[in-house]
Amino acid sequence: MAYNSNDKKLSKKELYSMAWRSLFLQASFCYERMQAGGWLYSLLPALKKIYKDRKDDLKKAMKDHLEFFNTHPFLVTPILGIIAAMEEKGEDRDAIRGVKIALMGPLGGIGDAIAWLTILPICAGLGASLAIQGNAFGPILFLILFNVIHFALVFGGINYGYNTGLNALASLKTGTKTISSLASIVGLTVVGALIASYISMKTPLVIHAGKAKVALQTGVLDKILPNMLPLAFTFFIYWLLKKGLSPTKIIGIIILFSIVCKYFGVL
Amino acid sequence: MLIKALLIALYAGLAGIDLFDVQLHFHRPVVTGAIVGLILGDFEKGLVVGATLELVWMGMVPLAGAQPPNVVIGGVLGTAFAILTKVDPKVAVGLAVPFAIAVQAAITFILTVYSWFIHKADKYAEEGNAKGVEFINLAGMIPLFIFYALVAFLPLYFGADAAKSIVNSIPKVIIGGLQVAGGIMPALGFAMLLKIMLKREFIHFLLLGFVLVTYFKLSLIAVAIIGIIVAAYSYFNGNLKNDDGEAITDGI
Repeated sequence: MAYNSNDKKLSKKELYSMAWRSLFLQASFCYERMQAGGWLYSLLPALKKIYKDRKDDLKKAMKDHLEFFNTHPFLVTPILGIIAAMEEKGEDRDAIRGVKIALMGPLGGIGDAIAWLTILPICAGLGASLAIQGNAFGPILFLILFNVIHFALVFGGINYGYNTGLNALASLKTGTKTISSLASIVGLTVVGALIASYISMKTPLVIHAGKAKVALQTGVLDKILPNMLPLAFTFFIYWLLKKGLSPTKIIGIIILFSIVCKYFGVL
Repeated sequence: MLIKALLIALYAGLAGIDLFDVQLHFHRPVVTGAIVGLILGDFEKGLVVGATLELVWMGMVPLAGAQPPNVVIGGVLGTAFAILTKVDPKVAVGLAVPFAIAVQAAITFILTVYSWFIHKADKYAEEGNAKGVEFINLAGMIPLFIFYALVAFLPLYFGADAAKSIVNSIPKVIIGGLQVAGGIMPALGFAMLLKIMLKREFIHFLLLGFVLVTYFKLSLIAVAIIGIIVAAYSYFNGNLKNDDGEAITDGI
Protein backbone atom coordinates (compact mmCIF):
# COMPACT_ATOMS: atom_id res chain seq x y z
CA MET A 1 0.00 0.00 0.00
CA ALA A 2 1.40 3.37 -0.94
CA TYR A 3 0.41 6.55 0.71
CA ASN A 4 1.72 10.06 0.54
CA SER A 5 3.90 10.61 3.58
CA ASN A 6 2.93 14.30 3.80
CA ASP A 7 -0.68 13.27 3.99
CA LYS A 8 -0.35 11.63 7.39
CA LYS A 9 2.04 14.11 8.93
CA LEU A 10 0.47 15.85 11.87
CA SER A 11 0.07 19.60 11.71
CA LYS A 12 -0.47 22.24 14.38
CA LYS A 13 -4.18 21.76 13.80
CA GLU A 14 -4.20 18.20 15.12
CA LEU A 15 -1.78 19.03 17.92
CA TYR A 16 -3.86 21.90 19.27
CA SER A 17 -7.03 19.89 18.83
CA MET A 18 -5.41 17.23 21.04
CA ALA A 19 -4.44 19.83 23.62
CA TRP A 20 -8.02 21.17 23.79
CA ARG A 21 -9.43 17.68 24.04
CA SER A 22 -7.00 16.83 26.84
CA LEU A 23 -9.06 19.19 29.00
CA PHE A 24 -11.67 16.40 28.96
CA LEU A 25 -9.21 13.67 29.93
CA GLN A 26 -11.30 12.73 32.97
CA ALA A 27 -14.79 13.20 31.52
CA SER A 28 -15.52 9.47 31.72
CA PHE A 29 -13.16 8.70 34.61
CA CYS A 30 -13.85 5.35 36.27
CA TYR A 31 -11.84 3.36 38.78
CA GLU A 32 -11.54 0.40 36.43
CA ARG A 33 -9.36 2.09 33.81
CA MET A 34 -9.27 5.67 35.12
CA GLN A 35 -8.51 8.15 32.31
CA ALA A 36 -8.53 5.60 29.47
CA GLY A 37 -11.66 6.98 27.76
CA GLY A 38 -10.42 10.55 27.89
CA TRP A 39 -6.95 9.51 26.75
CA LEU A 40 -8.30 7.90 23.58
CA TYR A 41 -10.62 10.88 23.07
CA SER A 42 -7.61 13.22 23.25
CA LEU A 43 -5.45 11.13 20.94
CA LEU A 44 -8.12 10.58 18.29
CA PRO A 45 -7.36 13.68 16.15
CA ALA A 46 -3.88 12.22 15.54
CA LEU A 47 -5.08 8.63 15.07
CA LYS A 48 -7.81 9.66 12.63
CA LYS A 49 -5.29 11.51 10.46
CA ILE A 50 -2.54 8.90 10.62
CA TYR A 51 -4.85 5.93 9.94
CA LYS A 52 -7.14 7.73 7.53
CA ASP A 53 -7.21 4.95 4.93
CA ARG A 54 -6.45 2.01 7.19
CA LYS A 55 -9.51 1.18 9.21
CA ASP A 56 -8.12 -2.06 10.65
CA ASP A 57 -5.02 -0.31 11.98
CA LEU A 58 -7.23 2.42 13.41
CA LYS A 59 -9.30 -0.19 15.27
CA LYS A 60 -6.15 -1.81 16.64
CA ALA A 61 -4.79 1.55 17.80
CA MET A 62 -8.11 2.53 19.37
CA LYS A 63 -8.32 -0.71 21.33
CA ASP A 64 -4.75 -0.30 22.58
CA HIS A 65 -5.39 3.23 23.74
CA LEU A 66 -8.37 2.17 25.83
CA GLU A 67 -6.09 0.31 28.21
CA PHE A 68 -5.60 1.62 31.74
CA PHE A 69 -4.22 5.12 31.76
CA ASN A 70 -3.65 7.60 34.55
CA THR A 71 -1.41 10.62 34.81
CA HIS A 72 -1.65 14.24 35.86
CA PRO A 73 -4.22 16.09 33.71
CA PHE A 74 -1.97 19.15 33.35
CA LEU A 75 0.97 17.09 32.10
CA VAL A 76 -0.79 14.67 29.77
CA THR A 77 0.00 16.73 26.66
CA PRO A 78 3.74 15.91 26.53
CA ILE A 79 2.74 12.22 26.56
CA LEU A 80 0.11 12.83 23.88
CA GLY A 81 2.75 14.57 21.74
CA ILE A 82 5.30 11.79 22.12
CA ILE A 83 2.77 9.00 21.48
CA ALA A 84 1.38 10.87 18.46
CA ALA A 85 4.93 11.16 17.09
CA MET A 86 5.47 7.43 17.61
CA GLU A 87 2.17 6.56 15.94
CA GLU A 88 3.08 8.81 13.03
CA LYS A 89 6.47 7.14 12.60
CA GLY A 90 4.72 3.76 12.62
CA GLU A 91 6.52 2.46 15.70
CA ASP A 92 5.80 -0.99 17.02
CA ARG A 93 2.54 -1.21 19.03
CA ASP A 94 4.34 -2.73 22.04
CA ALA A 95 6.91 0.07 22.01
CA ILE A 96 4.12 2.64 22.01
CA ARG A 97 2.41 0.94 24.94
CA GLY A 98 5.72 0.74 26.82
CA VAL A 99 6.53 4.40 26.37
CA LYS A 100 3.01 5.42 27.34
CA ILE A 101 3.15 3.42 30.56
CA ALA A 102 6.71 4.50 31.33
CA LEU A 103 5.73 8.16 31.05
CA MET A 104 2.39 8.26 32.84
CA GLY A 105 3.81 7.42 36.29
CA PRO A 106 6.66 9.93 36.48
CA LEU A 107 4.60 12.70 34.88
CA GLY A 108 1.78 11.94 37.29
CA GLY A 109 4.22 12.37 40.16
CA ILE A 110 5.77 15.56 38.78
CA GLY A 111 2.30 16.92 38.07
CA ASP A 112 1.16 16.30 41.64
CA ALA A 113 4.30 18.00 42.97
CA ILE A 114 4.05 20.97 40.64
CA ALA A 115 0.32 21.55 40.26
CA TRP A 116 -1.35 20.30 43.45
CA LEU A 117 1.47 20.85 45.94
CA THR A 118 3.07 24.02 44.62
CA ILE A 119 1.07 26.08 42.11
CA LEU A 120 -2.36 25.50 43.63
CA PRO A 121 -1.42 26.19 47.28
CA ILE A 122 0.54 29.29 46.31
CA CYS A 123 -2.09 30.77 43.95
CA ALA A 124 -5.03 29.81 46.18
CA GLY A 125 -3.15 30.97 49.28
CA LEU A 126 -2.55 34.37 47.69
CA GLY A 127 -6.18 34.66 46.57
CA ALA A 128 -7.47 33.56 49.98
CA SER A 129 -5.18 35.99 51.81
CA LEU A 130 -6.92 38.84 49.96
CA ALA A 131 -10.44 37.37 50.09
CA ILE A 132 -10.28 36.76 53.84
CA GLN A 133 -10.02 40.55 54.25
CA GLY A 134 -13.11 40.97 52.07
CA ASN A 135 -11.14 41.96 48.96
CA ALA A 136 -13.04 40.90 45.81
CA PHE A 137 -9.81 40.78 43.81
CA GLY A 138 -8.77 37.64 45.74
CA PRO A 139 -10.71 35.04 43.68
CA ILE A 140 -9.89 36.87 40.43
CA LEU A 141 -6.17 36.97 41.18
CA PHE A 142 -6.28 33.25 41.98
CA LEU A 143 -8.07 32.33 38.72
CA ILE A 144 -5.74 34.42 36.55
CA LEU A 145 -2.48 33.29 38.16
CA PHE A 146 -3.48 29.64 38.22
CA ASN A 147 -4.79 29.43 34.67
CA VAL A 148 -1.91 31.28 33.04
CA ILE A 149 0.36 28.53 34.38
CA HIS A 150 -2.20 25.79 33.69
CA PHE A 151 -2.66 26.62 30.00
CA ALA A 152 1.03 27.31 29.47
CA LEU A 153 1.68 23.74 30.69
CA VAL A 154 -1.07 22.19 28.53
CA PHE A 155 -0.27 23.99 25.28
CA GLY A 156 3.48 24.15 25.79
CA GLY A 157 3.47 20.44 26.60
CA ILE A 158 1.90 19.27 23.35
CA ASN A 159 4.56 20.94 21.20
CA TYR A 160 7.35 19.94 23.53
CA GLY A 161 6.23 16.33 23.47
CA TYR A 162 5.72 16.10 19.74
CA ASN A 163 8.92 17.91 18.75
CA THR A 164 11.18 16.16 21.16
CA GLY A 165 9.53 12.83 20.45
CA LEU A 166 11.52 10.03 21.89
CA ASN A 167 14.35 12.28 23.04
CA ALA A 168 11.97 13.69 25.64
CA LEU A 169 11.81 10.30 27.30
CA ALA A 170 15.44 10.40 28.40
CA SER A 171 15.36 14.01 29.55
CA LEU A 172 12.16 13.52 31.54
CA LYS A 173 13.57 10.56 33.43
CA THR A 174 16.65 12.35 34.68
CA GLY A 175 14.67 15.49 35.41
CA THR A 176 11.93 14.00 37.57
CA LYS A 177 13.69 14.09 40.91
CA THR A 178 15.23 17.52 40.42
CA ILE A 179 11.93 19.10 39.45
CA SER A 180 10.21 17.53 42.43
CA SER A 181 12.94 18.74 44.78
CA LEU A 182 12.78 22.31 43.50
CA ALA A 183 9.00 22.30 43.73
CA SER A 184 9.25 20.95 47.28
CA ILE A 185 11.59 23.75 48.37
CA VAL A 186 9.24 26.51 47.16
CA GLY A 187 6.17 24.63 48.33
CA LEU A 188 7.48 23.93 51.83
CA THR A 189 8.57 27.54 52.33
CA VAL A 190 5.05 28.66 51.48
CA VAL A 191 3.47 25.98 53.69
CA GLY A 192 5.60 27.23 56.59
CA ALA A 193 4.25 30.71 55.95
CA LEU A 194 0.68 29.40 55.73
CA ILE A 195 0.97 27.62 59.08
CA ALA A 196 2.07 30.86 60.70
CA SER A 197 -0.61 32.93 58.94
CA TYR A 198 -3.79 30.93 58.88
CA ILE A 199 -4.16 28.61 61.83
CA SER A 200 -5.84 30.52 64.63
CA MET A 201 -5.03 28.73 67.87
CA LYS A 202 -4.70 30.73 71.05
CA THR A 203 -5.30 29.72 74.63
CA PRO A 204 -7.29 31.97 76.99
CA LEU A 205 -5.82 30.22 80.05
CA VAL A 206 -4.50 32.42 82.83
CA ILE A 207 -1.96 31.13 85.33
CA HIS A 208 -2.44 32.20 88.94
CA ALA A 209 0.78 32.31 90.91
CA GLY A 210 -0.12 33.66 94.31
CA LYS A 211 -1.43 37.14 93.58
CA ALA A 212 0.24 37.40 90.19
CA LYS A 213 -1.76 36.50 87.10
CA VAL A 214 -0.02 35.55 83.88
CA ALA A 215 -1.87 35.05 80.60
CA LEU A 216 -0.42 31.84 79.20
CA GLN A 217 -0.65 32.98 75.58
CA THR A 218 0.74 36.53 75.67
CA GLY A 219 2.83 36.17 78.82
CA VAL A 220 4.52 32.83 78.19
CA LEU A 221 3.99 31.20 74.79
CA ASP A 222 4.40 34.36 72.69
CA LYS A 223 7.58 35.17 74.59
CA ILE A 224 9.11 31.84 73.63
CA LEU A 225 7.86 31.46 70.05
CA PRO A 226 4.77 33.16 68.65
CA ASN A 227 2.59 30.78 66.62
CA MET A 228 4.05 27.92 68.61
CA LEU A 229 0.62 26.29 69.05
CA PRO A 230 -0.25 26.28 65.31
CA LEU A 231 3.15 24.79 64.46
CA ALA A 232 2.92 22.13 67.16
CA PHE A 233 -0.67 21.27 66.22
CA THR A 234 0.23 20.93 62.53
CA PHE A 235 2.99 18.48 63.43
CA PHE A 236 0.57 16.58 65.67
CA ILE A 237 -1.81 16.16 62.71
CA TYR A 238 1.15 15.28 60.48
CA TRP A 239 2.07 12.57 62.99
CA LEU A 240 -1.51 11.22 62.97
CA LEU A 241 -1.42 11.08 59.15
CA LYS A 242 1.93 9.28 59.27
CA LYS A 243 0.37 6.79 61.70
CA GLY A 244 -2.03 5.96 58.91
CA LEU A 245 -5.19 7.70 60.16
CA SER A 246 -7.45 8.80 57.31
CA PRO A 247 -8.22 12.53 56.84
CA THR A 248 -11.86 11.74 57.58
CA LYS A 249 -11.01 10.27 61.00
CA ILE A 250 -8.70 13.18 61.74
CA ILE A 251 -11.50 15.67 60.98
CA GLY A 252 -13.61 13.85 63.56
CA ILE A 253 -10.74 13.98 66.06
CA ILE A 254 -10.21 17.71 65.47
CA ILE A 255 -13.89 18.48 66.02
CA LEU A 256 -14.09 16.39 69.22
CA PHE A 257 -10.79 17.82 70.49
CA SER A 258 -12.04 21.38 69.86
CA ILE A 259 -15.32 20.86 71.68
CA VAL A 260 -13.58 19.28 74.66
CA CYS A 261 -10.99 22.07 74.78
CA LYS A 262 -13.75 24.66 74.56
CA TYR A 263 -15.64 23.00 77.39
CA PHE A 264 -12.62 23.15 79.70
CA GLY A 265 -11.66 26.62 78.54
CA VAL A 266 -8.29 25.51 77.20
CA LEU A 267 -8.84 26.96 73.70
CA MET B 1 -35.42 30.95 47.51
CA LEU B 2 -36.31 28.63 44.59
CA ILE B 3 -34.47 30.80 42.04
CA LYS B 4 -31.46 31.21 44.33
CA ALA B 5 -31.34 27.48 45.06
CA LEU B 6 -31.57 26.73 41.32
CA LEU B 7 -28.75 29.16 40.53
CA ILE B 8 -26.55 27.62 43.20
CA ALA B 9 -27.45 24.13 41.90
CA LEU B 10 -26.40 25.18 38.38
CA TYR B 11 -23.14 26.55 39.73
CA ALA B 12 -22.52 23.38 41.77
CA GLY B 13 -23.09 21.22 38.67
CA LEU B 14 -20.61 23.24 36.62
CA ALA B 15 -18.11 23.33 39.48
CA GLY B 16 -18.43 19.55 39.80
CA ILE B 17 -17.43 19.23 36.16
CA ASP B 18 -14.60 21.75 36.62
CA LEU B 19 -13.20 19.55 39.40
CA PHE B 20 -12.37 16.89 36.79
CA ASP B 21 -12.54 18.58 33.39
CA VAL B 22 -11.15 21.81 31.94
CA GLN B 23 -10.09 22.57 35.52
CA LEU B 24 -10.15 26.33 35.45
CA HIS B 25 -10.46 25.79 39.20
CA PHE B 26 -13.45 28.03 39.71
CA HIS B 27 -14.62 25.13 41.88
CA ARG B 28 -12.15 26.07 44.61
CA PRO B 29 -13.80 27.51 47.76
CA VAL B 30 -12.06 30.89 47.34
CA VAL B 31 -14.11 31.37 44.13
CA THR B 32 -17.19 29.38 45.21
CA GLY B 33 -17.55 31.56 48.31
CA ALA B 34 -17.66 34.75 46.24
CA ILE B 35 -20.18 33.34 43.74
CA VAL B 36 -22.52 31.74 46.28
CA GLY B 37 -22.26 34.95 48.32
CA LEU B 38 -23.25 36.97 45.27
CA ILE B 39 -26.27 34.72 44.60
CA LEU B 40 -27.42 34.87 48.22
CA GLY B 41 -26.88 38.62 48.49
CA ASP B 42 -23.97 38.72 50.95
CA PHE B 43 -20.87 38.95 48.78
CA GLU B 44 -18.56 40.09 51.55
CA LYS B 45 -19.36 37.20 53.88
CA GLY B 46 -19.14 34.78 50.95
CA LEU B 47 -15.60 35.97 50.26
CA VAL B 48 -14.50 35.47 53.86
CA VAL B 49 -16.15 32.06 54.27
CA GLY B 50 -14.76 30.93 50.92
CA ALA B 51 -11.25 31.97 51.91
CA THR B 52 -11.59 30.15 55.24
CA LEU B 53 -12.78 26.98 53.50
CA GLU B 54 -9.99 27.32 50.91
CA LEU B 55 -7.38 26.99 53.64
CA VAL B 56 -9.07 23.87 55.01
CA TRP B 57 -9.03 22.25 51.57
CA MET B 58 -5.53 23.44 50.70
CA GLY B 59 -3.86 20.04 50.92
CA MET B 60 -6.97 18.06 50.05
CA VAL B 61 -6.23 17.51 46.39
CA PRO B 62 -6.70 14.35 44.31
CA LEU B 63 -3.22 12.88 44.71
CA ALA B 64 -2.66 9.81 42.54
CA GLY B 65 -6.39 9.52 42.03
CA ALA B 66 -7.37 9.29 45.71
CA GLN B 67 -10.36 11.51 46.38
CA PRO B 68 -10.42 13.80 49.45
CA PRO B 69 -13.66 15.18 51.04
CA ASN B 70 -15.55 16.83 48.21
CA VAL B 71 -14.35 20.38 47.76
CA VAL B 72 -17.26 21.47 45.54
CA ILE B 73 -20.09 20.55 47.92
CA GLY B 74 -18.02 21.59 50.95
CA GLY B 75 -17.51 25.04 49.44
CA VAL B 76 -21.07 25.52 48.17
CA LEU B 77 -22.95 24.28 51.24
CA GLY B 78 -20.42 25.70 53.70
CA THR B 79 -20.82 29.20 52.26
CA ALA B 80 -24.59 28.88 51.88
CA PHE B 81 -25.07 27.67 55.47
CA ALA B 82 -22.83 30.43 56.81
CA ILE B 83 -24.87 33.11 55.03
CA LEU B 84 -28.33 31.61 55.57
CA THR B 85 -27.88 30.71 59.25
CA LYS B 86 -25.70 33.76 60.01
CA VAL B 87 -23.12 31.72 61.90
CA ASP B 88 -19.45 32.60 62.15
CA PRO B 89 -17.38 31.48 59.10
CA LYS B 90 -15.41 29.12 61.31
CA VAL B 91 -18.59 27.39 62.47
CA ALA B 92 -19.60 27.01 58.82
CA VAL B 93 -16.39 25.05 58.22
CA GLY B 94 -17.39 22.58 60.91
CA LEU B 95 -20.83 22.22 59.33
CA ALA B 96 -19.58 21.84 55.74
CA VAL B 97 -17.03 19.11 56.26
CA PRO B 98 -19.47 16.25 57.16
CA PHE B 99 -21.50 16.97 54.01
CA ALA B 100 -18.33 16.94 51.93
CA ILE B 101 -17.32 13.55 53.31
CA ALA B 102 -20.73 11.98 52.63
CA VAL B 103 -20.76 13.34 49.07
CA GLN B 104 -17.29 11.98 48.39
CA ALA B 105 -18.40 8.52 49.47
CA ALA B 106 -21.27 8.74 46.98
CA ILE B 107 -18.90 9.86 44.23
CA THR B 108 -16.57 6.94 44.86
CA PHE B 109 -19.57 4.72 44.22
CA ILE B 110 -20.54 6.65 41.06
CA LEU B 111 -17.01 6.41 39.63
CA THR B 112 -17.06 2.67 40.19
CA VAL B 113 -20.30 2.33 38.24
CA TYR B 114 -18.77 4.53 35.52
CA SER B 115 -17.11 1.40 34.13
CA TRP B 116 -20.22 1.26 31.95
CA PHE B 117 -18.85 4.16 29.89
CA ILE B 118 -15.50 2.51 29.22
CA HIS B 119 -17.19 -0.76 28.23
CA LYS B 120 -19.31 1.21 25.77
CA ALA B 121 -16.10 2.80 24.44
CA ASP B 122 -14.61 -0.71 24.02
CA LYS B 123 -17.52 -1.64 21.80
CA TYR B 124 -17.15 1.49 19.64
CA ALA B 125 -13.38 0.91 19.32
CA GLU B 126 -14.10 -2.63 18.14
CA GLU B 127 -16.25 -1.13 15.37
CA GLY B 128 -13.68 1.59 14.60
CA ASN B 129 -16.35 4.13 15.48
CA ALA B 130 -14.38 7.26 16.48
CA LYS B 131 -17.49 9.41 16.81
CA GLY B 132 -18.97 6.94 19.29
CA VAL B 133 -15.84 7.07 21.47
CA GLU B 134 -15.87 10.86 21.40
CA PHE B 135 -19.54 10.97 22.36
CA ILE B 136 -19.28 8.45 25.17
CA ASN B 137 -16.32 10.23 26.77
CA LEU B 138 -18.09 13.60 26.82
CA ALA B 139 -21.37 12.02 27.95
CA GLY B 140 -19.59 10.98 31.14
CA MET B 141 -19.96 14.55 32.39
CA ILE B 142 -23.78 14.50 32.38
CA PRO B 143 -24.53 12.21 35.36
CA LEU B 144 -21.96 14.00 37.53
CA PHE B 145 -23.45 17.39 36.64
CA ILE B 146 -26.91 16.20 37.66
CA PHE B 147 -25.59 14.64 40.86
CA TYR B 148 -23.76 17.78 42.02
CA ALA B 149 -26.69 20.03 41.14
CA LEU B 150 -29.13 17.83 43.10
CA VAL B 151 -26.89 17.52 46.14
CA ALA B 152 -26.57 21.32 46.30
CA PHE B 153 -30.24 22.02 45.55
CA LEU B 154 -32.02 19.67 47.95
CA PRO B 155 -30.60 20.84 51.30
CA LEU B 156 -30.81 24.49 50.23
CA TYR B 157 -34.37 24.41 48.99
CA PHE B 158 -35.90 22.16 51.62
CA GLY B 159 -33.49 22.67 54.46
CA ALA B 160 -32.48 26.31 54.74
CA ASP B 161 -35.02 27.03 57.46
CA ALA B 162 -34.60 23.63 59.02
CA ALA B 163 -30.83 24.13 59.07
CA LYS B 164 -31.30 27.53 60.70
CA SER B 165 -33.44 26.16 63.53
CA ILE B 166 -31.11 23.21 64.02
CA VAL B 167 -28.12 25.54 64.28
CA ASN B 168 -30.01 27.74 66.75
CA SER B 169 -30.79 24.77 68.97
CA ILE B 170 -27.17 23.60 69.23
CA PRO B 171 -25.65 24.25 72.69
CA LYS B 172 -23.17 27.13 72.98
CA VAL B 173 -20.23 24.90 73.85
CA ILE B 174 -20.72 22.90 70.64
CA ILE B 175 -20.94 26.04 68.49
CA GLY B 176 -17.89 27.43 70.28
CA GLY B 177 -16.10 24.11 69.76
CA LEU B 178 -16.95 24.12 66.05
CA GLN B 179 -15.55 27.64 65.87
CA VAL B 180 -12.29 26.47 67.43
CA ALA B 181 -12.28 23.47 65.06
CA GLY B 182 -12.78 25.77 62.04
CA GLY B 183 -9.84 27.88 63.18
CA ILE B 184 -7.44 24.96 63.51
CA MET B 185 -8.80 22.78 60.67
CA PRO B 186 -6.36 24.29 58.11
CA ALA B 187 -3.67 22.36 60.00
CA LEU B 188 -5.05 19.20 58.39
CA GLY B 189 -4.66 20.65 54.90
CA PHE B 190 -1.12 21.75 55.64
CA ALA B 191 -0.24 18.44 57.31
CA MET B 192 -1.45 16.55 54.23
CA LEU B 193 0.88 18.66 52.08
CA LEU B 194 3.69 17.93 54.52
CA LYS B 195 3.02 14.19 54.49
CA ILE B 196 3.89 14.12 50.81
CA MET B 197 6.50 16.86 50.54
CA LEU B 198 8.41 16.86 53.81
CA LYS B 199 11.75 15.09 53.77
CA ARG B 200 14.39 15.35 56.46
CA GLU B 201 16.71 17.36 54.23
CA PHE B 202 13.98 19.89 53.44
CA ILE B 203 12.63 20.63 56.93
CA HIS B 204 14.53 23.92 57.25
CA PHE B 205 12.68 25.38 54.27
CA LEU B 206 9.42 24.90 56.15
CA LEU B 207 10.90 26.67 59.18
CA LEU B 208 12.18 29.47 56.93
CA GLY B 209 8.66 30.26 55.71
CA PHE B 210 7.29 29.97 59.26
CA VAL B 211 9.88 32.35 60.69
CA LEU B 212 9.54 34.87 57.87
CA VAL B 213 5.86 35.30 58.76
CA THR B 214 6.05 34.85 62.54
CA TYR B 215 8.86 37.33 63.18
CA PHE B 216 9.07 39.45 60.02
CA LYS B 217 5.34 39.55 59.18
CA LEU B 218 6.06 39.08 55.46
CA SER B 219 3.20 38.58 53.01
CA LEU B 220 2.70 35.26 51.20
CA ILE B 221 3.89 36.77 47.92
CA ALA B 222 7.16 37.82 49.54
CA VAL B 223 7.64 34.36 51.06
CA ALA B 224 6.89 32.66 47.71
CA ILE B 225 9.49 34.85 45.97
CA ILE B 226 12.07 34.06 48.65
CA GLY B 227 11.22 30.36 48.22
CA ILE B 228 11.88 30.61 44.48
CA ILE B 229 15.19 32.38 45.12
CA VAL B 230 16.25 29.68 47.57
CA ALA B 231 15.27 26.94 45.09
CA ALA B 232 17.21 28.67 42.30
CA TYR B 233 20.22 29.03 44.59
CA SER B 234 20.16 25.33 45.47
CA TYR B 235 19.81 24.43 41.82
CA PHE B 236 22.64 26.53 40.46
CA ASN B 237 25.02 25.75 43.28
CA GLY B 238 24.63 22.03 42.89
CA ASN B 239 23.20 21.43 46.36
CA LEU B 240 20.50 19.15 44.99
CA LYS B 241 21.16 15.48 44.50
CA ASN B 242 19.94 13.79 41.37
CA ASP B 243 18.62 10.25 41.09
CA ASP B 244 22.08 8.71 41.43
CA GLY B 245 22.94 10.79 44.47
CA GLU B 246 25.44 12.92 42.54
CA ALA B 247 25.32 16.67 42.73
CA ILE B 248 23.78 18.18 39.62
CA THR B 249 26.18 20.46 37.85
CA ASP B 250 24.29 21.48 34.74
CA GLY B 251 20.75 21.59 33.41
CA ILE B 252 18.37 18.68 33.19
